[in-house]
Formats: sequence, C-alpha cells, structure tokens
Amino acid sequence: MAPRRLDWAIFEKNDGEIMAAAPRRKRRVLRAAQVEPVRGRLHHAIVSRLFETLFALMSRRITIVEDEPAIRENYADVLRKHGYEVAAYANRADAIAAFRLRLPDLAVVDIGLRDDIDGGFELCRALRAMSASVPIIFLSARDSDFDVVAGLRLGADDYLTKDVSLPQLLARIAALFRRSDLLAAPQASEEILERGPLALDLKRLTAHWRGQRVDLTLTEFWMVHALARFPGHVKDRDGLMREAEIVVDDSTITSHVKRIRKKFAALDAKFDCIETVYGMGYRWNAA
Amino acid sequence: MSTPPQTMSGFGPAAASSELLVKTSAADANAAPAAEPRRKRRARLALGIRAQLLLVLTVFLAIPWLGYEYVKELERFLRDAQEARLAGTAQAVATALHDRGPLFEVRPTPLDTLPTERAGESSAVVGAAVDTPGSPEIAQILHGLSRTSARIWVVDRDQHVLARAGSLKRTLPEPPRADDASYVERFLAWLDREALQPLYGRVLQPPTEDFSDERTGRTVPSGRDVEGALAGILTVDRRPTADGKAVIVAAAHPIWVGDEVKGAVIVEETTNAVLAERNRAFGRLFNIVLAALLVGSVALTLYASWLSLRIRRLRDAAEAAIDARGRVRGSFTGSAARDEIGDLSRSFGSALSRLTQYASYQEAMAGRLSHELRTPIAVVRSSVDNLALQPLPDDARVYIARAQEGLTRLASIITRMTEATRLEESLAEAERERFDLAKVTVGCVEGYRAAYSGRTFELRVPSGEAPFFGAPDLVAQMLDKLCENAAEFATPGTPIVVALQQDETRYRIAVTNLGPPLPDTMQGRLFDSMVSVRDRRTDGGPHLGLGLYIVRLIAEFHGGRAIAANRDDGRGVTVSVTLPLVRAER
Repeated sequence: MAPRRLDWAIFEKNDGEIMAAAPRRKRRVLRAAQVEPVRGRLHHAIVSRLFETLFALMSRRITIVEDEPAIRENYADVLRKHGYEVAAYANRADAIAAFRLRLPDLAVVDIGLRDDIDGGFELCRALRAMSASVPIIFLSARDSDFDVVAGLRLGADDYLTKDVSLPQLLARIAALFRRSDLLAAPQASEEILERGPLALDLKRLTAHWRGQRVDLTLTEFWMVHALARFPGHVKDRDGLMREAEIVVDDSTITSHVKRIRKKFAALDAKFDCIETVYGMGYRWNAA
Repeated sequence: MSTPPQTMSGFGPAAASSELLVKTSAADANAAPAAEPRRKRRARLALGIRAQLLLVLTVFLAIPWLGYEYVKELERFLRDAQEARLAGTAQAVATALHDRGPLFEVRPTPLDTLPTERAGESSAVVGAAVDTPGSPEIAQILHGLSRTSARIWVVDRDQHVLARAGSLKRTLPEPPRADDASYVERFLAWLDREALQPLYGRVLQPPTEDFSDERTGRTVPSGRDVEGALAGILTVDRRPTADGKAVIVAAAHPIWVGDEVKGAVIVEETTNAVLAERNRAFGRLFNIVLAALLVGSVALTLYASWLSLRIRRLRDAAEAAIDARGRVRGSFTGSAARDEIGDLSRSFGSALSRLTQYASYQEAMAGRLSHELRTPIAVVRSSVDNLALQPLPDDARVYIARAQEGLTRLASIITRMTEATRLEESLAEAERERFDLAKVTVGCVEGYRAAYSGRTFELRVPSGEAPFFGAPDLVAQMLDKLCENAAEFATPGTPIVVALQQDETRYRIAVTNLGPPLPDTMQGRLFDSMVSVRDRRTDGGPHLGLGLYIVRLIAEFHGGRAIAANRDDGRGVTVSVTLPLVRAER
C-alpha cells in the first residue's frame, strides 16, 4: 500500500457549510458517505483557497501508456508538476500488470504501441472491464474517423490527437476529474443549463435529453454547451474548437457534430436542433 | 448500411455515378476536340505500315526486268543454234550434190509461165513441199530433204533456180479446244489470251506469218549469202523481209564439182520459230512472276494489316488505360503473344502498373507523412510546453513563443495534409441526402464574405430551389476549397464570381477570379494530389496543392468532374465543377 498522503479534506455541504473531511480511502476523498464532519464554519475565502490547494495537492493517480519515451516523460513531467501522481508505461503488458495491482484515477493511452498496432484499444477494453468509471483519454497520432469512432465505442471518455497542447490536455484532465468526482457526489450545488428538452449539468458535464442521459464525450459536451448557450446564434468552427479545447481541422468538427447528432437521434429520431449553416458554422435551434 | 429512399427507384449511388460519368464526359464539349486528332492519327498509322511494306515490295519489280534480260539471252542462243542448224542442212544438201556435174549441165528449161504462176500462189499455198524444179533430179533429191519450216534452193552459177523445196511460212497448230477444262483453267486461259498476251505483245513483238516473200521467182536475187556461196564459202546471212514483218536467216553452201563451184544450196528459214519460243518463255516467266508478286503482295498486305491491327489494339488499350489527366484508369492486361509486340504490350503493362503504384503512393504520401510527423512534433510541442511552465527570464519567453508559433504552423500543415486522406476515408461512408444546392451555395458565400474581409464575392444563383441529391457537407467543403483557391489568386480589389447554373442534366458551379492565368503545362494536373502552381512569394497559410485535389474527390464522389480553364480573355481563371443530376431527381 502506498503511504497516505492526504489525511483530511475540506468539503462544502449543500447548505453552504464548510466541512473538512478525513477520507477512509484516499481515492474516495470527496465521497460524502465517507467523510466525517470535524469542524464548524470557516471563512469562505479561506476555505476556497484551501479547497484549491487541496485539489492541487490531492494526489490523483494518472497512468500514461505511450511508446515514445520523450512524449511519455514530457507528459509525465507536466502532470507531476500539476500535482498528479503519474505512472508511465511503454507497453500494454506492463500497463495491465499495473492495473491489476491498482487502478489509476485516469488513464491516457496511445493507440499504437510499437509493434502492438492496436494495443491501446485492447488496453482500453481491458481497463473498462476492470472499472466502468475510470476516465480514459486516447491520445494518438491517428486522426481518422475510423479510429476516433472505434476508440469512443470502446468506452473512452475522449479522443485527442497529438496536436493537442499541454494546457489543453491539462484542462481536459481536470474537467474529467471534476466530472468523475461530481458524479459520485450527492446533488451538490446544481448548475444546470436548460434549453427545452435539453439539460446540461455544467458541473458533472453531463447532458440529458427529455430526461434521458446522452452519453457525450468531453469534447462533445463542450460543443453542445457552446451551441446551446445562445440558441439561434451561429457558432463558427473556430469558436467551437476554442470552446471544446481542441485544435482540429474543419472536417473533424463536421464529424464531431455528426456524432453528436447521432447520439441525440438515437434517443429521439426527430432531433434536429443542431442546424448546419453552410459557410458559417452551426446553430442551436430551440426544439 | 441504410439505403436512402431515392436509391429504391433503381438508381443506386454507385451505379449512378459511373453511368453519369460516362454521360457527362460524352456530353462535355472538351471531349469532342480531343477525340478528333486521335482518329486522324489512327488513319495515318494504318496507312503507314501497309504503305511501307508495299513500298518495300516494289523491289520485286526488278524480277520481271531480270526475266526480260534472260529471255533476250535465250533468244540469242536459239538464233545461234538456228544458224548452225541451217548451215548444217545446207552443207548436207551440198554434200549430196557434190561432184555430180551432169546435174548442173542441163540448161534449165525456161520456166516462164509456171514459176510465175506459182509465185503468185505461193503465199496462199502453204506447206507446198516441192516447187516445180528446173532440174527434176535435184528436185528429187531435195524432196527427201525438205522440211516444214525451211526452204531449200539449189541455184547454178548464174543464180538460176535449179530446184526448190519447202516454204518459209509455218503452219501454226490450232490451239487445243479446252472444252473439258475446268472453269479455273478456262479462266486462266482466257486471262492469258485476253489480258496478258496483248500486254506481252507490247513488250515483245509477236512473230507473224503474214510477211511478203520476195524470193519466189526464177532467179534468186543476189544477196550476201548467195554471192558468198558462189565464191566458195559457206555463208550465213540474216535479212529482213521487204515489208519488215519478219527476219529471214539464210545459209548458203557452195556445190563443188571438182575444183569448180557449180552452184549453191541455200537454206532459208524465218526467225519466227525462235521468236515464238522466246515469247512463250517470256510469257511463262511473266505469268509466274506476276502470280508470285500478286500472292506475295496480298500476303504481305494481310500480314501488315494484322501487324498494324495488333499495334493499333495495343495503342487503343494503352490510351484507354490512361485518362486525359494522366491517371491510370484500369488494369492493362499484357498480350500473351511471344513476339516483340507481345513484349511491348507486356512491358507497357508493367510500366502502367508501376505508374499506378506511384500514383497511389503519391496520393497516400500526404497521409503517411502526416502520421509520421505527428509523433516528433508531439515530442517538440510537449517539450516546449513543459519549458514554458518553467520559471524563465523574459527574453527566453520570446523564443518559446516563437517555437510555439512554428509548431502551430506545422500542426496546421499536417492538418491540411490529412484533410485529403480523411476525406477519402469519409467518402466511403458518406451519406447522401436531398438538399437545396442554391441554399448551401448562398450560405457558403455569405460565410466567405465574412471570412475573407478583403474580398468581394459576386453570387449568381438561379431563383428558387436547386434540389440535389448528395452530401451537403462535402459540397460545402468543396466550395470552401474553390473559393479559397480563387481568393488566393484574385487580383486585389476584383470580385470573385460564384455562379450556379442548371441545365437538363447537371448543375455547374463555377468560381471565377481575375488574376494570373494558369500555365499551360499545369491545366491537366491541377486536380492531382500535391500539385500547386503557387510561387513562393505567397504568404499566409501553407500550400500543399491539396485544395483542388479535394475538389476533384468531392466532384467525383457526386459523379461529376472538375475543370480548370483560363477565362476567354485570358485575364482570369474559372474553376468549375459539374454535378450531374441523378435521373430520379430530375
């Protein structure tokens, strides 16, 4: 067992009460059932700073599986600098062996691992079998629609090409952690964006359509959010890219939008809220 | 895969695209002039090999000439033989008359009436063996020696005719009646008689028996032969008849009685037999030569036609294998023939397959290259990003910023490179739907007006809907590339004209800009992967020559064509795309 690095946590309850919590298990630090109130109210400003520090210090484990040593080390370095605990592996066998010992809090996986051409896919499948909730990000040089679709179908939470910059990667990792944390948390302070049948939970980063959960990736969620925030306004492709924290070409945006439409259409065959405005971009039309 | 409802009307997208591609290329005005020079070239080629072989065949015209020379030689030989024979006959007759003085003592009875009478008839009486002799004894001797075609005279010293036998005129045998001959034989005989013999007659005079014979009188007109013989020498002479229609060869031998020449024997014959023999040989030779030439030239012409047919087939197959833009269209199967043409066809086939490999390599190169570049770029990018997170002096930040800017540009190059590859992949599963082409065009141009702030766009679309069955996203992407290309080349301040036209069978989207014309050499290749006519001075984004390639891919996906041409006045360029209407949509 790794030594406990975190002995306590600060927690804000529904009614604004600030709680400090001592987790039984570090990974479940914010799970309400596992915290015990130890102190009364604190000054809000102090608490939020403490909260941030805690958040940064909180040693989340990220596993990077990447065959290229330079990239592996660079990613590992930057993640460590941001307070994460990083384990890096070069191949599938090592990674799976490590997963058996202990699951990571998040995995960044390359698809091609040297001779193991689709090793990343296999790894994703194996990890998903071990845990349904661990966020998985594909980070690959491959950018064909086929690979993106295959990767997301295997249960990955996001698919990034290696064009992504480190700040963008960090933003995604942070967002995914927030989502996985809040999914586990009780109905805390809600921040819901509602547009007719669409409901976007901005904290949990989840979308619902007529009450049904739409399984969007992080990129897709951010795109839907960018569109739905101002219904009727055309959002161009650059704007969508900015909001979704990705750098891709126009045709990738097109395929992202196509996938989003399909996911909504799977729940509601008459879904046509995302309109293509040719030459301009996309627009959310009220249903 | 779900089938769109439109395809239910017997018009699947795949079948439609190929059929319409054929239709549009046939209807295309550009295709017609291209076909014209090809036909001309074919005619010249066909004439070429056959004409050349026939020209070579003229060498064999020397054979008749050689035959002619040979026949002349033969004639000389026959003549010599004839002269020797006549001399021998004369000698033989003379030998029989030697030393028989009394025969010559008899004064010849005056033959005033009879010989002249006979002389008048002699041309009519052919084959009269013996004339009325001046000396019956001699005549009797001559009678035994008489010949059909030769005439023998015996004259005394005064050149009085003592005896005469034979005639100069030959009796010609009747040509056999070929009643039982087959049609072929009869035809050949007819051909020989009606066509060939008159022809040969022009070259070599046929002998005639219709000549005047002046030596029919009582005395023999003095000639070299008679004079020579009377002088005691065997003389052979040759002289034409008075009317020049024949030549007479005469041999004269003296008749000795003791030491005295008592008379002479003259043996005469026309050369007609020799000439006839010569002409027969000539005709026979020529028949054979003509037949050989005829058969030879027919065989050679057939061979040449077969050869040129094979070469033409090879050329047509080669032309069909490569389309107007130099792309390999289909497989080329080499001939199995084991000769040089077969070799040529096989080596052409292998050259084509290598060309295909190269073309696909070129088309795949962009995708492969970008994939290979991504990893090292990721190394650099993550390193620079890491560096940027370090506490650094401000002057170092400048370099980091520059490095990041360079990386951004590099990334955009890679993105563009993969755009074509990704498009090729997505075309495979692109879904078609019915949409309004005019609306998409208008929308796109609206977008460009905002995106290209320094440019003005002129839009010409038909009023009302322009329904089209295709992939609107792809059409929009195609318009993006067309307008991006036009904006790149347009002279600043001039408008870019985007026009949508519709006719019976297709839509035509044309984007025209004023600016430098296309170089002639590039017109066919503009739509290929990684081909660009830009020079280096252009600034802005990276140029990989993939934009128009994408246009072509999308146009071909819709069964259409992309064409780039200079404006008629040469002041600008029009890039147009034809999108055929699916029949069910019309």
